[in-house]
Amino acid sequence: MSISNEKAIDMYKELLAVRMAEEKLVEIYALGKVPGHIHSGVGEEAAYVAPLMTKNDGDYAKFTHRVIAATHVMGITFNEMFAEILGKDTGTSHGRGGVNHVAHLKNGIVGVAGSLGVDTEVAVGAGVSCKYLENGKIVYCFNGDGTHSRGNVHEAMNLASMWKLPVLFVCDDNQFAISANHANTICTPNPAYDRAPGYAMPARLVEGDDPIAVYEAAKELTDYIREGKGPAVLEVKTYRWRGHFEGDQCAYRDASVTEEMRKRDCIATLEKYLLDNGIMSAEDMELLKNELAVELDQAVEYAETSPEPALDSVYRNVY
Amino acid sequence: MKQTFAQAISATIREEMRRDDKIIVYGEDVAEMGGIFTATRGILDEFGPKRCISTPISEGAIVGSALGAAVTGLRPVVELMYSDFQLVAFNELFHSLGKWKFMHGEDYKVPVVVRCAGGYSFGAGPEHSNTFECLFTHAPGITIITPSNVYDAKGLLRSAIRSDSPVLFYEHKQLYKTKMEVPEEEYCIPIGKADIKREGKDVTIIAVGLMVSKALEAAEKLAAEGISCEVLDPRTIIPVDKEAMFESITKTHRCVIVEESNKTAGLGAEWAAMIQEEIFDELDAPIRRVASLDVPLPYNLGLEAECVPNPDKIIAAVKSLF
Repeated sequence: MSISNEKAIDMYKELLAVRMAEEKLVEIYALGKVPGHIHSGVGEEAAYVAPLMTKNDGDYAKFTHRVIAATHVMGITFNEMFAEILGKDTGTSHGRGGVNHVAHLKNGIVGVAGSLGVDTEVAVGAGVSCKYLENGKIVYCFNGDGTHSRGNVHEAMNLASMWKLPVLFVCDDNQFAISANHANTICTPNPAYDRAPGYAMPARLVEGDDPIAVYEAAKELTDYIREGKGPAVLEVKTYRWRGHFEGDQCAYRDASVTEEMRKRDCIATLEKYLLDNGIMSAEDMELLKNELAVELDQAVEYAETSPEPALDSVYRNVY
Repeated sequence: MKQTFAQAISATIREEMRRDDKIIVYGEDVAEMGGIFTATRGILDEFGPKRCISTPISEGAIVGSALGAAVTGLRPVVELMYSDFQLVAFNELFHSLGKWKFMHGEDYKVPVVVRCAGGYSFGAGPEHSNTFECLFTHAPGITIITPSNVYDAKGLLRSAIRSDSPVLFYEHKQLYKTKMEVPEEEYCIPIGKADIKREGKDVTIIAVGLMVSKALEAAEKLAAEGISCEVLDPRTIIPVDKEAMFESITKTHRCVIVEESNKTAGLGAEWAAMIQEEIFDELDAPIRRVASLDVPLPYNLGLEAECVPNPDKIIAAVKSLF
């Protein structure tokens, strides 16, 4: 293992925070507190958190509509995240963007496109500026397997490779594009990894229930990118534990398979590693969970008690 | 000095690139070729391949990456060649470019200029002749500029490049080779300011882009018949200078709108509605629209000419108001 104990603990803290925040989202949605939709990322956290454990200060990231709590790793606070999801004025974009657009530029988030795939081009554009400005920054571009069927992604990846841009393309392959199992919709089993040779990019394929393996693969690829050699592909195999959105009954898939896949839990894998190696104790973990539970409750309360945006502010940030 | 429209575009970009090293130029055939209309000629020679790059045929990636580069510190001036190809990047232009700041917050400045060549051009056919400004008037957040001559193109492009909001900049294909005397020194024309291209008292002709020259030709002929036309060039489509329109119509009490887009749901539809909503009492006659026929622009030159506005059609529209 090339991961330090300190890094493993940091990763656990972030994974747990993201897991619990994603669970909190499901909880408050069920209570009718969310005005729009949410797309739960419970179970897929390692695909986002583990690569981001290789980031340096100032690096950029482009997220997706799922596992949005992973923006916390970039420095988005739970207060402003939940406030945005509840559409409040204290949210990251004052309730204009909602769940698909939780972002601050100061945290290095380049933004998210609700029409998925377009933002892969935006991430590549951030790579254009990193290379042009020679600022040593790199870009983490997260997509789901479904998005890899959008033409925008192919245009973006070709451009990134041609211009040798510092971008890590991370594909969270959770097997489903809403109801469409990718076995029935995508011509190759690993939508990003299998195509990487076509973009002349190095690639790694890892299991999403093994956060340390994801981290190590990301470390290897980001080291390559930081050397100025161009972009790379990391595909992480996960499984979407819940529906595309809350309320999706998942009638299109076998519930027993879902149950089986839920046993492959990135948090459990990392907890076992930390306990087996004496890096953290069960008490430490319990304490952390209790602290996070309090922080998340407070964040929801902050969001709920935050003001609605003033109606006469509707033209704010249009131009 | 005299410059062609194409020379003026390239010269303005180069002047701005000397001033600000965050400006980069990329797009289809912009580097070695200097653009298929020669409007980026000389940029590669002066600034090298780091700042002037020909891209693959990937309009989505051109616009999307320009957005990403802009929010992270650059000021891209990109070219999509034909404005018709904007539709390949429609999502990027409509959903992303104009909404990014709104969706993500005030930190996200989007100083992008998307240049493209619009309008009919003698047999360019149904997919290389369109006039699309009206499509993007439905995309809040985007500034739309359509200059009608060399002087305006220089001043407006400079303002566009210096703007922190995304700008769609339409260059009419038939204007590229037109020449005009322009100042040696640098100048800006403010975004959102219309220009009276000819003063008159009997009717206001609002005309856009190449249609300004058609309107001026019509006005000249009508003057000989005793009808005094004021020709108003909005220059900026979004934000449009409605005060200038209202001021002119308040003087003339009649209005004809000339545009190259299809008539249905075009700029004329919007402006006619706006004018009658706000200054109905000033109108002595209905507002007339002269626009392209609601068909795809044909390849055949005779059919093409049948579709687009011309001075005779404008003259007929003006006379119908009296």
